[in-house]
Amino acid sequence: MLISLNWLKKFVDIDVSNEELIRLIGARLVEVEGVIDETHKYDKIYVVKVESAKHIPDTHLTLCQINVGGRTDLPKVEYDENGLVQVMCGAPNVREGMLAVWIAPGAIVPASVHEDAPFVIGKRKMLGQYDSYGMLAGADELDFGDDHSGIAEIDPAMAQPGDAIADVLELNDLILEIENKSLTHRPDCFGMIGFAREVAGILGKKFVNNIEPLNNYKISDDIKIEIAQPEICPRYTAVVLEKHGELKKKYLTLQDTILAKSGMRPVDEIVDATNYLMLLTGQPLHAFDYDKFVAVGAAKTPRIVVRLARAGESLILLDGKEVSLNENDIVITSNDKPVALAGAMGGDSTKIDDSTKKIIIESATFSLYNLRETQMAHGIFSEAITRFTKGQPAYQTLMVAEMCTGMLADGYKVAGVSDLISVKMEESRVEVTSQEINQLLGTSYSEAQIIDTLENVGFRVKVHRDRLDITAPAWRTDIHIKEDIIEEIGRLNGYDNIVPTLPRHATAEKNRMLELKTKVRNVLSSFGANEVLTYSFVSERLLKKAGLEVSNSYRIVNSISPELQLIRQSLVPSLLEKAYINQKVPFGKFAIFEVNKVYQKDWGLNEEGVPVEKMRLGCVVAERKNVEGTAYYKAKFLAESLLEKLNIAVQFLPIQQLTVETLPFETKRAAAVWTLDGEYLGVVGEFKNSVRRNFKLAEYLAGFELDMDMILQKAADKSVINNNFAVKDRQDITITTLKNYADTLKELSEKYPNAVISPVGIYQPEGVQEKNITFHLEFH
Amino acid sequence: MSEVEKLKQELKALNLEYAKIREVPAEKRGEFGRDLNAKKLAILDAIRQAEEAELNVAVEAIDITAPCGVNEKMPETFSVFQGSLHPLMTELDRVTKIYQLMGFDVVESRQLDDEFHMFDSLNFAKEHPARDGYDTFRTEEGFIPPAHTSTMQHRVLKMYREKLTRGEEIAVVVPGRVYRNEDVDATHEHTFYQCEGVYVSKTCTMGDMLGILREFFEKYYEQKLNIRTQPGYFPFTEPSLEFMIEKPKSLGGKKGDFLEMLGCGMIHPNVLKMAGIDPEVYHGFAWGGGIDRLVMLKYGLKDVRYFESGDLNFLSEFK
Repeated sequence: MLISLNWLKKFVDIDVSNEELIRLIGARLVEVEGVIDETHKYDKIYVVKVESAKHIPDTHLTLCQINVGGRTDLPKVEYDENGLVQVMCGAPNVREGMLAVWIAPGAIVPASVHEDAPFVIGKRKMLGQYDSYGMLAGADELDFGDDHSGIAEIDPAMAQPGDAIADVLELNDLILEIENKSLTHRPDCFGMIGFAREVAGILGKKFVNNIEPLNNYKISDDIKIEIAQPEICPRYTAVVLEKHGELKKKYLTLQDTILAKSGMRPVDEIVDATNYLMLLTGQPLHAFDYDKFVAVGAAKTPRIVVRLARAGESLILLDGKEVSLNENDIVITSNDKPVALAGAMGGDSTKIDDSTKKIIIESATFSLYNLRETQMAHGIFSEAITRFTKGQPAYQTLMVAEMCTGMLADGYKVAGVSDLISVKMEESRVEVTSQEINQLLGTSYSEAQIIDTLENVGFRVKVHRDRLDITAPAWRTDIHIKEDIIEEIGRLNGYDNIVPTLPRHATAEKNRMLELKTKVRNVLSSFGANEVLTYSFVSERLLKKAGLEVSNSYRIVNSISPELQLIRQSLVPSLLEKAYINQKVPFGKFAIFEVNKVYQKDWGLNEEGVPVEKMRLGCVVAERKNVEGTAYYKAKFLAESLLEKLNIAVQFLPIQQLTVETLPFETKRAAAVWTLDGEYLGVVGEFKNSVRRNFKLAEYLAGFELDMDMILQKAADKSVINNNFAVKDRQDITITTLKNYADTLKELSEKYPNAVISPVGIYQPEGVQEKNITFHLEFH
Repeated sequence: MSEVEKLKQELKALNLEYAKIREVPAEKRGEFGRDLNAKKLAILDAIRQAEEAELNVAVEAIDITAPCGVNEKMPETFSVFQGSLHPLMTELDRVTKIYQLMGFDVVESRQLDDEFHMFDSLNFAKEHPARDGYDTFRTEEGFIPPAHTSTMQHRVLKMYREKLTRGEEIAVVVPGRVYRNEDVDATHEHTFYQCEGVYVSKTCTMGDMLGILREFFEKYYEQKLNIRTQPGYFPFTEPSLEFMIEKPKSLGGKKGDFLEMLGCGMIHPNVLKMAGIDPEVYHGFAWGGGIDRLVMLKYGLKDVRYFESGDLNFLSEFK
């Protein structure tokens, strides 16, 4: 939303600098995303009088002499003996005696100021013989719309030759770009009156609405209005207007500039009036052609039925597009035939055109929930639907309709007013004490200040002993509980005026998982491994490449792409994918790891009814050229060393039972990791050839996936050391055996129960069955 | 003949079947084609599986209990200089540790949650458009990879409400990974990290909230900071604020440059009530802010997509 400060200042008396005003709006009302500085956009552009206009035969050009008032010393301009300036004009509507807008030489054409190369006007030689200074501008060149049919004309009652256009039309302005999201709950602020009321409030002033309601309508109810379900349309006002004269627009007006500065475009008299009122009050309006409306409904008089669309219905909108309607769309119908998509866009069949004799002005409110869905389903993001989806209050529909008919009075007279209120409007009342307010905010506002703050923006306050009985104004549909009032007090007086304090409270408990994660990450990075993060979402393809069952993954129904459709069951497949990316770079050898959460459908739901989650540590070791031997032993060494640092002693046993984690691993070259006391920690090993091939990884490849929750249970701070730490004797022993390493070690340690035994190497001469396993023994 | 060869023969035969489509009546051709395609896909899948099985058959078993391979060197770690830590995890750690020093317990956020915790328990009206604003993903079962760490508010309130009856206060932070259905570009990721804070006691005020947040950022940036707020809107806090700090010197900040750091506010009484805490007796405040942005500011990082890229060129900067 765009807010013109000049327009704002018409509604509220501002006695702080623009800079301070913008800061205060940001701090107390809404996020200001940016400020468009238009204070020099209309420099060197003047109102001039066309003193003579001579058409040049066989061209579309007219040679004009213009009166620039007192501007007799403009640079780069030549004046004739009468002080007039010559300018060539190509517009059909240029004529002697009119007031026009002249862009003097050296000025920038306003419509081009934001272009890369702004267009600077100068002197030109036309038709080889006429000097032309500057240009007479059309509304489009002045950046007030798309009208290129002629030059802009200025009302002589407003200006004199020589006046700067910026002064006449109040164009030296700052435009605030407002972040709509931060006003989601404040439909009233989507109209200038509501916005200005808040600005008065944050400046500590009482807001006075200088727009008088007219209240001259007689409700005739001669148009039948029916609302199928009250909640879809709390109120519908319809006014019939009959043409009695021409609404010929002649001059460039302040209203045009306000529309333009608010991001809209002047179109025609009726549309401009409805748009202007929407910007002013927040209440969108729509106009139907009366006769077409009646004809579509095939009835004698209009019968407006507001209802939900039915399956299979469609509608051609004003922009010519046909939409198939959803059952959540609210439609305006003429005698049950849809003619407009409520709140979003009118229909083509009831469009106003040059032959329109009667119109129906609609001023209504609709369910924001339905309109929100309509907006998404049909991709309509107009200024009107933006306001409706905030939940415009119902109190002002009639009033705004009447303002509209007032604006169109020169061409149209009121021929009937109908107004149907389907949901009773109720005032919102809240009770709160000054003490409660100050207690929550940490402030010490007096009761008088609290009452002033509220009354400034239209609340009514009655005092009962220490309680304030507060009635919210009709436009504040967001006030329900005392915290809403507390917010008003804090916000309007400035949260920045609240003194930051520190409460005293108890010490924190330590979080063991957090500490474990930190330790695991630190140990692995000290082993030269690199921590990565990968997405929780994976593709079907990835799971299949790793040999996992797709059906065991929770599936995202609105995923961004097929690559991100499933929630991962384990970490290793994602790491294999990243290993490939890095191996391609190429990185020669590396270990990447991640600590994160995984979900498997087979685990079911926990006692809260949400999926069971597990914390995992995954790691993949890869090397492009195999120089290090068997990858399995590298992965095992990293896992075992890490667990040793966590004081968990483990054994590596054959994989007996296939689980999701073990699926990518080759069971002949992988092991299940068990604690000595029989708890399963996970899997370590090399991957199946098929998996390795699917991920296009080089032969030297292994990894592990461990259960962090179980590690947490088993990890302990070291509490026992060998107090006889001095080594008294050392010895290397080589055993020649057919047995595996673990069994050999077991036998050895049974023989030397007091020795600390570590491996030295395994040697097997060619052609021999037995292996020679060498151990190093230390005796303390 | 191997399994794969057998299947390939079958596929050949099936491919010949396609020619017969001309003999099928026009109205049945669609069904005929679909049938054949399904069979073809099944065979292709079987071929893939059989090929994988063949690949895996030839593997030689090793002694999985051994510390090293036969006639191989004992394995070693990589060079300590090669290792690195992920900057997001490091920062999340640092953030939670500062809060811990300030007396906050830590509870990690879930990565798959439900509508109740994500919205209902946080005072989002049913069908309220504010729910759309979070661009949530959903699973077939209706579970939600949470779009904010506030999804844990209800849980931590319940988990710690005992403390209130003992006359203590609830002070918890919740770090975690969150998700939004957004198109990814240099400044938007669908996956990112947040840290939530929740504080409840009998006497706490908005002044306390501002004090705690300022204290945190002063500890985090190791300097005194000017703070600012602006009104915000969240269904689960009332009043709601956006919290800003003046850009710290370490980030090249100048006077008057303010950075939006997080959203915060006094916990809505309905949120307390739903967690079984009497809002007439207790008040609270809560906040939540992104971690990714802190890291990007710290290192002058311009593209958020590096975080989940797994790119070692990038990660090696964080040795």
